[in-house]
Amino acid sequence: MALLDIKNLTLEIDTDNGWIKALDKANLSVREGEIQALVGESGSGKSLIVRAISGGLPPQMRLTADRMTWRGANLLAMNAEQRREIMRRDIAVVYQDPLASLDPSVTLGEQLEESVPYEFVGKGWFWEKQKERKRIAIELVHKVGIKDHAGVMSAYPHQIASDIGQKFMIAMALVSQPALLIADDPTRGMEATTKVQILKLFKRLNQTKRLSILFVGHDLLAISSMSDSMTVLYCGQTVESGPIKQLQKRPLHPYTKALLDSAPSFRADLPPKSPLVTLPGTIPTLQHLPIGCRLGPRCHRAQKTCVQTPAVRKIHDHFYSCHYPLHTNNS
Amino acid sequence: MTKILLRYLNLLVLTLLVVIVFSFTLGYLFPGDVYTNLTGLESKAEALRYLKVDSDAGFFSLFIAYFSNTLVGQWGVSSITGEPLFSEVLLSLPATLELGFYALLLAVVVGLPCGFFAGLKPQRSLDMSILGASAVMYSFPVFWLAMVFILIFSLNLEWLPMSGRVDLLLNVPTVSGFIFVDILLADNIDKGHAFVDALKHLALPTLSVSIITMATLIRAVRRSTLDVMRKPYIIAAQSRGLSSAQIFLKHGMRNALLPILPIMAMQVTTLITNVMIVESLFSWPGMGHWLLQAIYQQDYPAIRTGLLAVAGAVIVLTIIIEVLSRLVDPSREKFDRVAV
Repeated sequence: MALLDIKNLTLEIDTDNGWIKALDKANLSVREGEIQALVGESGSGKSLIVRAISGGLPPQMRLTADRMTWRGANLLAMNAEQRREIMRRDIAVVYQDPLASLDPSVTLGEQLEESVPYEFVGKGWFWEKQKERKRIAIELVHKVGIKDHAGVMSAYPHQIASDIGQKFMIAMALVSQPALLIADDPTRGMEATTKVQILKLFKRLNQTKRLSILFVGHDLLAISSMSDSMTVLYCGQTVESGPIKQLQKRPLHPYTKALLDSAPSFRADLPPKSPLVTLPGTIPTLQHLPIGCRLGPRCHRAQKTCVQTPAVRKIHDHFYSCHYPLHTNNS
Repeated sequence: MTKILLRYLNLLVLTLLVVIVFSFTLGYLFPGDVYTNLTGLESKAEALRYLKVDSDAGFFSLFIAYFSNTLVGQWGVSSITGEPLFSEVLLSLPATLELGFYALLLAVVVGLPCGFFAGLKPQRSLDMSILGASAVMYSFPVFWLAMVFILIFSLNLEWLPMSGRVDLLLNVPTVSGFIFVDILLADNIDKGHAFVDALKHLALPTLSVSIITMATLIRAVRRSTLDVMRKPYIIAAQSRGLSSAQIFLKHGMRNALLPILPIMAMQVTTLITNVMIVESLFSWPGMGHWLLQAIYQQDYPAIRTGLLAVAGAVIVLTIIIEVLSRLVDPSREKFDRVAV
C-alpha cells in the first residue's frame, strides 16, 4: 500500500488576476521504503506540493484533492491536531533554505533538543531527561556528518555555514524517526563531497531503517543514482511518473525526454561540441498559463487536441498524461 | 561583552559631557550676568567663591570650575528661593521617573498582549477592534486627554483626586522621593490607607501618559508579530508538528519582541515629555511642574539645571534600554558599533 497517496491535487492561489491553479491535478504516490524523486524546473510547483503535504497553507491558497491519504487515512478530513500528530511522528520536512528555517534567536542545540519526542527520552527527573535529549541530539549531529557538535550546537543560525545548516536541518528532520522524509532540494549549494555524504546518508537510512524519502530537486544525476521512481512535474501538472529505469530508458512524455536530454551525463552517445537539445521558450508564468496540457506551446508534438488536459494513462506502473506520447504509433 | 559595555559607558560619559557643555553655554546665552546664571547668586564675589575661581578666569577655566562643581552636585542655587538646586532636583526628579515608570509599565502590560492577539489573528474582528482602539488612542493629544479625565473622573464623578501625589493630611515624609517607598518607610501613618490614596492619585496621570505609548506599542508589536509569524522558521516549526502555543511561545514571541526594544528606547523621550506635560496639569510635584514654575519666574539657573537633569535622565534611560536590547538579541554581532 502506498504510504502517501495524492490524486488530483489542485492548489489555487488568490491573486490580482483571480484564482490561479498553481498545481493542476497533480498526482504523487510514495510507497513504503522507496526513494521517490520529484523533478521539475524552478517554478513548477515542487515546493508547493511539499507545503501542501506539510499543511498550514496561508489563507490565500485553496487546496482541493480527490484523494490525499497517509497510510490510508484521509489527510484532508483530519483536524489540525491529528494532522499535527502525523507531522510530529511520521513525516519530516527539510526545507529549501536551511538558515531561514532555523529560529535566529535560539541556539541550534536548543532547537534540535526541542524536537526530540518525549517518548524517546524515558523517565526520570527533568535534568536526566535534558541529558538524554542532549545525548540523542549529539548522536544525530554526528550521524549527519557534523564533527564539531559542541561548536555547532551552541551557535546561532547566522553563525554557521549554509551546508552545515542543511545537514543540521536533516538532523532535525530525523530526530523523530519519521516514516517519510520530504527533502526539498537538500543538496543545493553544497560542494560535491558534502553532497555525496548527504546522498549516501539518505541511501543508508533508506536501506537500514526503511525510511521512505521524497527527494525534491533538479539534480538528475544524483536522483538517477539513488531513487527508485520519479515523478516529473511541469508547471503544476504531473506529466509522467514511474520507475526511474523505465523513465530513463523509454520516456513517454515529450517533456521528460527533453529534461533527460538536457543533462549531458545521460547521453553516452553525445559527440563532443554538439549542441544540447532544449525545448524552445521558457516555463510560462502563473499569469499566462496555457489551457489544456501546459507544455502545449513548447511541445514539438502538440496538435489540436492538446488544448484539452490529457487524462492520466498507464502502462503497468508507468503513468503519463499526454495525447501523443513518444514511442507509440498513434500520432 | 565587557568591551561592548565599556563602549556604552564611553558613549554615556561623552554624551553627558556634551550636555554639561551645552548647559554651560546656556549661562552665556541667557540674559544677565554669566556668573549669576551659572550659580544663581546675585553678587559676583559670592558667585566666584561658589565656583572657586578668580575674577580674571577665562572661558576655559570657568568651564573646568563649572564642570567640577556639577560633578560634585554643586549645581548652584535658585535665584527665587535661594535653595540649592541639586536638592530641589533630587526631590522632583524621582516623582517624574516614578510617573514615567508606571506609565511605561501599564503600556507594556496592556500593549504587549493586545499587540500579540492582534498580530496572531490578523484581519479578524478582535484585531480590527484592537487596531481601531489604538488608532483612536494614538490621536489624542496628551494635555487634552488629561483635562478630559479631570473633567469626567475628578469633577463630575468625583471618583479620583485631581492633584498631588498623596493626601497632604497624611503627611508622608520624603525620604527617597518615590511615593510608595516613602509610604513603606514612614512610621506613624495608616499605611494601607496611604497606599490606596497614592494609587488613586496615580491613576489618572498614569493613564493619560501611558495611552500614547500604549498605542505605539500595540501597533509595533502587532506589525512585528505579523512579520515573524510569516517567517520560514515558523512554517518549519509547524511542519515539525509543534503546537501553535509552542511555536508562539518558543519561537514567535521572542523574535517578535526583538525589534520592539529599540522602539521602546525611542519612546522614552516621548514618554518623559508627556510626563512633564501631564505633571503640570495634575500639579504632580515632578520635574515638569518644577521646570514650568522656573520658566514662569524666569529662574535661569533653575531652567539650566532642569534641562541638565532631564537630558541626563533621558540619556541614561535610553542607553540602559539599548544595552538590554543588545544583551537579548544574539544576532547583533559583537563587533557592531554602539550608538544611541
